[in-house]
Amino acid sequence: MSTAIVEPAEPSTGSPTRTDDNGARQPLFTVRGLTKIYPSGETEIRALDGVDLDLFPSELIVLLGASGSGKSTLLNILGGLDTPTDGTLTYRDLDLTSADEDELTRFRRDSVGFIFQFYNLIPSLTARENVALITEIALDPMTSEEALAMVELDDRMDHFPSQMSGGQQQRVAIARAIAKRPEVLLCDEPTGALDVKTGITVLEAIEHVNQTLGTLTVVITHNAVIADMADRVIYLSDGHIVEIRENKSRRPVRSLAW
Amino acid sequence: MVGGVAVGGAASHYDVPLRMTACFFPRRIVIAPLDLKLLRDLGKMKGQVFAVSLVMACGLAMMIMSRSLILSLESTRDAYYREHRFADVFCSLKRAPNALRPRLARISGVAAVETRVTGKVTLDLPGLAEPADGTILSLPEDRPQQLHLLFLRRGRLPALGSHNEVVVGEAFADAHGFRPGNEIDAIIYGARQRLKIVGIALSPEYVFEARAGEALPDNKRFGVFWMNERELATALELDGAFNNVIVDVAPSEDIAPVMADLDRVLAPYGGLVAYGRRDHASAVQLDDELMILRGLSVAFPAVFLSIAAFMSSAVLSRLVRLQREQIAQLKAFGYSSWQVGGHYLKFAVVIVALATVIGGCVGLFLGKNVVVLYHQFYKFPSLVLHPDWRMFGVAFVVSAGAAFLGVIGAVRQAVKLPPAEAMRPEPPADYQPSVLERLGLTHLVSTSFRMALRNLERKPWQAFFTAFGLALATGIPIVPGSFRDAIDYLLTFQWDVAQRQNVTVTLLEPGSASAMSDLGHLPGVMSAEPFRSVPARLRFGHHSRRLAITGLPRDARLNRLLDEHARPVELPSDGLLLSAKLAEILGCKPGDTLRLEVQEGRRPVREAVVQGLITDYTGVAAYMEIEALRRLMREGGTVSGAHLSVDTAHWKSFLAEVKEAPRIASLGIKEAVRASFLKSTGDMIGTITAIYFTFAIIVSFGVVYNSARIALSERSRDLATLRVMGFSHREVAAVLIGELALLTLLALPAGLWIGTQLATFIVTAASTETIRMPLILTTKSYASAVIVVLTSATLSFAVVSRRLHQLDLLGVLKARE
Repeated sequence: MSTAIVEPAEPSTGSPTRTDDNGARQPLFTVRGLTKIYPSGETEIRALDGVDLDLFPSELIVLLGASGSGKSTLLNILGGLDTPTDGTLTYRDLDLTSADEDELTRFRRDSVGFIFQFYNLIPSLTARENVALITEIALDPMTSEEALAMVELDDRMDHFPSQMSGGQQQRVAIARAIAKRPEVLLCDEPTGALDVKTGITVLEAIEHVNQTLGTLTVVITHNAVIADMADRVIYLSDGHIVEIRENKSRRPVRSLAW
Repeated sequence: MVGGVAVGGAASHYDVPLRMTACFFPRRIVIAPLDLKLLRDLGKMKGQVFAVSLVMACGLAMMIMSRSLILSLESTRDAYYREHRFADVFCSLKRAPNALRPRLARISGVAAVETRVTGKVTLDLPGLAEPADGTILSLPEDRPQQLHLLFLRRGRLPALGSHNEVVVGEAFADAHGFRPGNEIDAIIYGARQRLKIVGIALSPEYVFEARAGEALPDNKRFGVFWMNERELATALELDGAFNNVIVDVAPSEDIAPVMADLDRVLAPYGGLVAYGRRDHASAVQLDDELMILRGLSVAFPAVFLSIAAFMSSAVLSRLVRLQREQIAQLKAFGYSSWQVGGHYLKFAVVIVALATVIGGCVGLFLGKNVVVLYHQFYKFPSLVLHPDWRMFGVAFVVSAGAAFLGVIGAVRQAVKLPPAEAMRPEPPADYQPSVLERLGLTHLVSTSFRMALRNLERKPWQAFFTAFGLALATGIPIVPGSFRDAIDYLLTFQWDVAQRQNVTVTLLEPGSASAMSDLGHLPGVMSAEPFRSVPARLRFGHHSRRLAITGLPRDARLNRLLDEHARPVELPSDGLLLSAKLAEILGCKPGDTLRLEVQEGRRPVREAVVQGLITDYTGVAAYMEIEALRRLMREGGTVSGAHLSVDTAHWKSFLAEVKEAPRIASLGIKEAVRASFLKSTGDMIGTITAIYFTFAIIVSFGVVYNSARIALSERSRDLATLRVMGFSHREVAAVLIGELALLTLLALPAGLWIGTQLATFIVTAASTETIRMPLILTTKSYASAVIVVLTSATLSFAVVSRRLHQLDLLGVLKARE
């Protein structure tokens, strides 16, 4: 058995979490036997191979693993960007494995924020407008200004991406992701393209959002040091979860160094 | 080695076994890796490659079609004129004895001379209520024919000494289905004869088989006949004499002195002034047609090829930008900038080669079909399409040049980037607030519209060229629309507004007032207006034209003269009214004085002032008030014919009487001419219009589709981001389409303007002495152009929106830009 389900410790924030009638916490995502197979010529690649996992509100999860271990595949399936070949995945009561294109679009629009390694800002829009893209379509968004203030970019609101540093661009991406007050924030190597100092500021922003909004946050990284900021660290290898480590306490990002 | 197909087995090459080759050669054909990349990249962008090639192919097809038609008509004409000995100088006269022939032959510069007898013939044909008419020419019996040799399509020439045997011109014979052996009733010089058709022939002087000066053939009612000289001379009371001379001038000689000598020799015999090919009705028709074709062979291809150049530039520069990293890698491996540059230029070569093949095939196909239509008008022994192969080369070079110009900038930029820098992700594109926002109008526009505006401002040239391509695509369909409307207008103007008579009668010889009275008393004639027609040469400065000055009553109500607004113009009591085109040819304007060299009677030379210009669309004419013309000729109430308004209730009895009237040379029936025009020219214009319209649709679809694909490719990362953030397909498509919709809207008014200019240019280029088209631009033409572009735009948006579904969200987001 390569997977393990470990009850997480109480989140370090006091943000509200749902519990069932018995007082046990309800997972936000329930993952069972999740398998993803990519055909590759005459063979196939099992990117995920029977993953079982529960993810709870407000948690900060770090996914660690070598290239090709299945981290990104898992993150993409969680975010409704990809569909599994086998297994089940539910988000609250929504069965994401059988959701159609429209349901997945609505799920992403209402519940998920994404952050990518290469920011993916719209270069023709200013910071404020990039965030406004989301606030225009979300159900209960904060204002662009609020979102940008959360990542401490209130003084750069009317700058275009080309007028900002990589770290600033990534913080705009975070503001854009959280402006809709998502329940889930999925970050795929958010510091991969940044130097240490800038990387820390970006992680601080993510940590701040997680703590203030109580957003379930999943961060993919190659950098083991970053794992210390998490509630739980999930190690993946060859599409299997090989270990789930629970941190006794989360280390503040500002104390991290690599 | 980079590029090309090599035979060998270098380890660095991908080996591509070709089964056929392997049978014969032990080694295998290998394609250099860069060429494999070329092939595969082309495969991935086949939609766009095809779109660009197709637009280019439209231009090339037009170019090859029209150039091949020009080549075919010119080479066929030249060979026909040469082999069948078309004369250089022509002259009619009253009567000269055959003994004068040797003297004519002795004129310096004359290589060959032919004296002939010609006359008018009126025909009574079964199945044709009205009389037909024709020209009958003599065939020499006592000597070999030297000039205007007939091409016998069927049958034979009249036997020597035969009686009543004639050869008939092919156009007329075909119109009636005549074959050798058929007989027809004819009136020659007032005497009824039964003619036996023994042959069907063509002559270089009747390539355009129509009454002299008529812009449109009416082969049902006009024909050409050839008869043995002696018999015809007897019929025309010209025994031992001739009334027509044709001369072949030696190649090295100038024709002007020959004409002058000929005039001098023939003057005592009632000679009309000699003229050259430039004034020969059939030759001029053909030259004018070639002139129109030459204009079209440049204008349209130029438009299509420039659009194609913009398109290929857009496609290829996008490709180069996308492959920035690959270019860096190639350079890092040691490929030179030239090799890399050459690789991208090969894309252009493939597009152009594809376009040349498609355009060539389509052009030849269209040419083969259009040449058949030409055969309706121009009678040659054989008229087949001679593909202008040289043009294929020119077409390839021209379009390759256009494509190269388009791509060279992008390639240069890509190869001059140091590899290390090129391999780093490009920094985010630089943007700034758009004009609208700088004006403080931000609140007026949505976020996606703001994106569109800023994109357009950031790449103004790309936006300009896209809009320009769209504008050209909008302009093109206006041209065939204006053709169609011009023909409609011309028919109405010419035959309803200007000519209100339904019959025009021309007399064999000018008649007196009593002749006019006879015409007015024909059955059913409700009103009759005389006309006087006097052949003359009009001279202004060193320009001159030979035509018939027409005298009309001042208050003419049937055959009216109109100005450009179709308002009647009253004839002045003295002086001339000229076709605007004639004034242009002569280089004169109202107020100028022309020299009139009358070529009839005592051949007086007079001066007349141009009092005004009139608008007409076929042929060129000079008019005078009929009394003024008679004064000029010093004659009484002479008439050449009359315009009649005939009550159709008495049509049959009118025609029956006309058929029996020996003094009537020809009868022009308006409705018959209109029907004949619609059948022949209508077909031609219809075909050409359909070709242009199809090409216009291809271009507008090609341009919009191509722009949408480029926008999709350039913006795929943005669009994928929006999709990931939860935008629906529809919302993302709206962002993509917004920019193009904006460009399309900007392009439409510009396109309507361009279309107007294009139509004006083509109408001007197609304006000749024989036929001119009015410039008619209706709301309908504009509306149909807009509809064509909007429909193509909608279709291409639909096609591209479907591709949005296939957008690889993960792939796009993971990849570095």
